[in-house]
Amino acid sequence: MDQLTQPTNLSEQEILDVLKQFITEVIGEEFVEDLEITPQSSFTKDLEMDSIEIVAFSEKVKAHFGRNIDFTGWLSNMDLDEIIQLNLGDITKYIRSCL
Amino acid sequence: MPVVDLQHTRIHLQEMNTGAAETVLMIHGMFTNLSIYYFNIAPILAQRFHVVLYDLKGHGMSGKSSHGYHLQAMSDELMELLEVLQLDAVHLAGYSYGGLIALKTAARFPQKIKKLAVIESPDPYEQETMSIVDIYSKELLLHFINGQPGHALQPGKRQLERRHRMYEFLLKESSIRQDMQQERHFFSSEEITAIPHETLLIYGASSDCAPAGRHLQEKINRSRLLLVNGDHNIPVQEPMTIGHELKNFFETDL
Repeated sequence: MDQLTQPTNLSEQEILDVLKQFITEVIGEEFVEDLEITPQSSFTKDLEMDSIEIVAFSEKVKAHFGRNIDFTGWLSNMDLDEIIQLNLGDITKYIRSCL
Repeated sequence: MPVVDLQHTRIHLQEMNTGAAETVLMIHGMFTNLSIYYFNIAPILAQRFHVVLYDLKGHGMSGKSSHGYHLQAMSDELMELLEVLQLDAVHLAGYSYGGLIALKTAARFPQKIKKLAVIESPDPYEQETMSIVDIYSKELLLHFINGQPGHALQPGKRQLERRHRMYEFLLKESSIRQDMQQERHFFSSEEITAIPHETLLIYGASSDCAPAGRHLQEKINRSRLLLVNGDHNIPVQEPMTIGHELKNFFETDL
């Protein structure tokens, strides 16, 4: 269940753990078991997420971290190639910079 | 995941800027999903408008349905969606097959549509252009997926299997192909010439569908044709141009 929180002072590792949970919810536990999810993991190449799964992931990020971050606005400045090549470390850093 | 239950199917949708006074509803094309708008085009429109994106049935994260993919059924479902969302009248934009649904909806329910935008919709009579529906095979599917501009990376095995399942369902287990064949004469029908709305037609300058855009321009009285650089994949190739052109078009005279 997505939950709106007011996270403060979260470490990059804590943010990464939340993002890993979202990825598990989006692509399913059975697929995640075979994956090693690290800050270097990219959506498409490593996690094999397609664009509609990235939408679902983005919505979970927005629902969880709330108005502190403009995740869709951040993504909207990128073209689709840049978005699918984003890695989790990039997203973690962006979220942390907004908190 | 935001979903609404319609009479025959469950629809996944996304909304942006829900507080805005005017709504733009966007319809994606065949074999794609709402993500074609979500990352670039919709956020530009959401600077000014409430934006509603939804996955057509059988696509994206919406429910599967074995039948009812002809334009009348699809426009009926769009009306049902407006009712559920309590939207009185909206601006409507559709890409490819979604543009055909938009045209049909504008023709059947003119009072529910304010302005109309059609992006790269093929003439259903041109079976060569529509032949994506007929070229299905595993080998051609791989060519199709790998040939999509904007996707520099090769899709992984899980992605390929997901897409394969979608094609398998839509083309072999649903009536989508027969339903579109029965729409062959849509562009020559009187409903097209009767469309009263201000209409923006956006086509790729090097697209095989560009003649269909010129055809619609001749048929729809209050229409304007805009050619942008690219082919049928202009939402991926030129999302910023399309987003800003749509925004300018919908906000004029507001």
